[in-house]
Amino acid sequence: MNDSANQEQLSADSASNHSHAGGAPQAIIAVQGDDISAYNQGLTPLDPAQKKLLRIRMIIRSLILLLLAMAAETVLHVKFGVMMGMFLLPALLFVAWMVTLLPGRIYRRWGYDMGEDQLRILRGYLWRTDTIVPFNRVQHIDVAQGPTQRSLGLSTLIVHTAGTHNSVVALPGLATDDAEMMRETIKGHIRQEMI
Amino acid sequence: MSDLAASDQRDVMAEAPPFHHLHPLTIFVMTFNGLGRNLLLIPVLYFSVFNRNLGLTALGTAAVIGLIIGFSALRWSRFTYQVTDKEIRIKSGLLHRNNRSIPFDRIQDVSLEQQLLARILGLATVRLETGSGGGDDGTLDALSLADAEQFRDFIRDYKREGAGDSPGDIVGERTGDAEASQPAEQAEYPIFAMDMRRILIAGLFNFSFILLAILGTVAQNFDFLLPDGFFDPRNWLDSLPDSASFNSLSAAQRLIGAIGAITTLLFIGVTSGLVSTLVREYGFRLDLVPSRRPGFRRRRGLFTLTDLVLPIHRIQAAVLQSGPVRELHGWHHLKFTSLASDPSGETDHSSAPCAQMAEINAILGYTSISNAAADLAYSPVNPAFWWRRAVMTIVLIGAISGLAATLFHGGFYALLLLAVPLIILNYLDWLHHQFAIDGGQLFVRSGWWRRRLTILPIRKIQSVDVSQSPLDHPLDLATITIGIAGGSALTPLKIEAISKTVAMQLRSHLLHSTESHLTGVIYDPR
Repeated sequence: MNDSANQEQLSADSASNHSHAGGAPQAIIAVQGDDISAYNQGLTPLDPAQKKLLRIRMIIRSLILLLLAMAAETVLHVKFGVMMGMFLLPALLFVAWMVTLLPGRIYRRWGYDMGEDQLRILRGYLWRTDTIVPFNRVQHIDVAQGPTQRSLGLSTLIVHTAGTHNSVVALPGLATDDAEMMRETIKGHIRQEMI
Repeated sequence: MSDLAASDQRDVMAEAPPFHHLHPLTIFVMTFNGLGRNLLLIPVLYFSVFNRNLGLTALGTAAVIGLIIGFSALRWSRFTYQVTDKEIRIKSGLLHRNNRSIPFDRIQDVSLEQQLLARILGLATVRLETGSGGGDDGTLDALSLADAEQFRDFIRDYKREGAGDSPGDIVGERTGDAEASQPAEQAEYPIFAMDMRRILIAGLFNFSFILLAILGTVAQNFDFLLPDGFFDPRNWLDSLPDSASFNSLSAAQRLIGAIGAITTLLFIGVTSGLVSTLVREYGFRLDLVPSRRPGFRRRRGLFTLTDLVLPIHRIQAAVLQSGPVRELHGWHHLKFTSLASDPSGETDHSSAPCAQMAEINAILGYTSISNAAADLAYSPVNPAFWWRRAVMTIVLIGAISGLAATLFHGGFYALLLLAVPLIILNYLDWLHHQFAIDGGQLFVRSGWWRRRLTILPIRKIQSVDVSQSPLDHPLDLATITIGIAGGSALTPLKIEAISKTVAMQLRSHLLHSTESHLTGVIYDPR
């Protein structure tokens, strides 16, 4: 069998399959080549406010970390006479990285794409996962919002499928209006079917 | 407003069918089981509470039995169920009342189970599976066998009213009502059964050390009954007629002894496989129920009899399991994946535990799934699948043996020899991890020792992941994980170590394509 011809035919097929409404098709086809380095592969980024939310979470986490580091530092200094700062300084550096650089980094690696008939969600960098859920496979949808999210006007879109794997697919960091719009779009595709 | 609600309720009450109790003998079964669980209480009463006073102990025991009977009767009286035209409602609970309604639409399969006592009394437990993940979705424990069978048939023949009646695209039965137009009264007929010989063959391949483990546990828990030092081999040697005679045994004789020990272990393994298979699969038969919604009816069990009906339109995928020796003799284990899990605790519904391909094809013929063609060309996955694991194995074992060798004894370097069989296993696993697309179905093979072929109609795919671990990035490889309605959440269907480009193409095919242009596509693993 002629492999290369097959491959070409396949890419042509996938190109036609990806004729989405948004401006995404070129980006997706590019991804099928070698565009690994693109952070979210040209997909729609999350709402910028999500970066703030991530930063707030990181600040809370870093406070806990600093408290622990201070406790460890004191114990080590008093009991074993370890020089002050041996523990706290690296912790401070790490915390500074967590609060300044990490939120943006996590944010950049998220992406989603509302296709005509499917939702695509990309997340992670080292452990990268790229999920596609066809709309007509969605069982039900949640739009969830925590207190911090509410103050920033953000929501999480949660899509439930019948699959045992990926039974819950969550897309955080959407503007509430967007999330609700997406919910309505997907809702229109849900069919009453039995499994 | 309260008037309105009241009149509403009255209307409903007037039309609604009555609430039923379970079979009264259930109280007896519950009491019996309750007694079994509390049997240890009697020696406790005798020895510690009543200080070896027989009369008081008898009184106390009677009180305990009375309590258990009363409690069982109370639970029985507080458990009622109602069967309406659309759903079953179950009210249960003594203090914390629970009122559950299960629409017939959502019931995946119905199974009847008869444990030994229930069989003697003519009772059967009805289990309803909705696939909600909790497992125990609705249990009627127990009805009389006749009632249970009638109830099962009622649910099986239940059909939604109205136009949206065909099972729908998500399950992919396009034919839908073609079968439905068949007369419902056709008798069911057997399509697969296992005689004693077949069960023995299945048992031989079911080699396990479960019996040994059970014996060990029993011995440990009851070692107070055994003489002191029972497990100390030295005592055994001492009890030999002349222990000196053992020391004088030649190396050859000791070798024979070792072989004898291994043979005993093998014998125990084979026996426990045979026994557990016999207990589970005794009288295995699979019938086709040609009702309006055809289904497979499976009966099996030596002591506990189970009787399960799996509606064919609920089937999501077929799984064929085998092993190196089994496959050589043509034996395979056919399972069906559906949203509900098998009441026996397995995630898939075992439908033919030991069958030749011809028999399996006959069973598959009743479903919309077709077996892999003999000449189906599978695409291999990237060789990195095995050499990456081999490298990691060597690094890990090397580190462990190096550490042990420097700390304890140079002989620990011999541990490195362990890497050889492991790497060979990795390589064989790679040879057996393949995939193919043919006739609108995805075929995925995996495992050399535990061989598994999953046949998944593409239209039943719920979601597809393409994921990359840090080790995948430098090689530009990816893993595809497919969401199926059913099967194990821990081991989902995966195609590992294929190039990212292929993974992306494969995914868009799995999600978008119609069946026509998919036949015979071969993917280059690189």
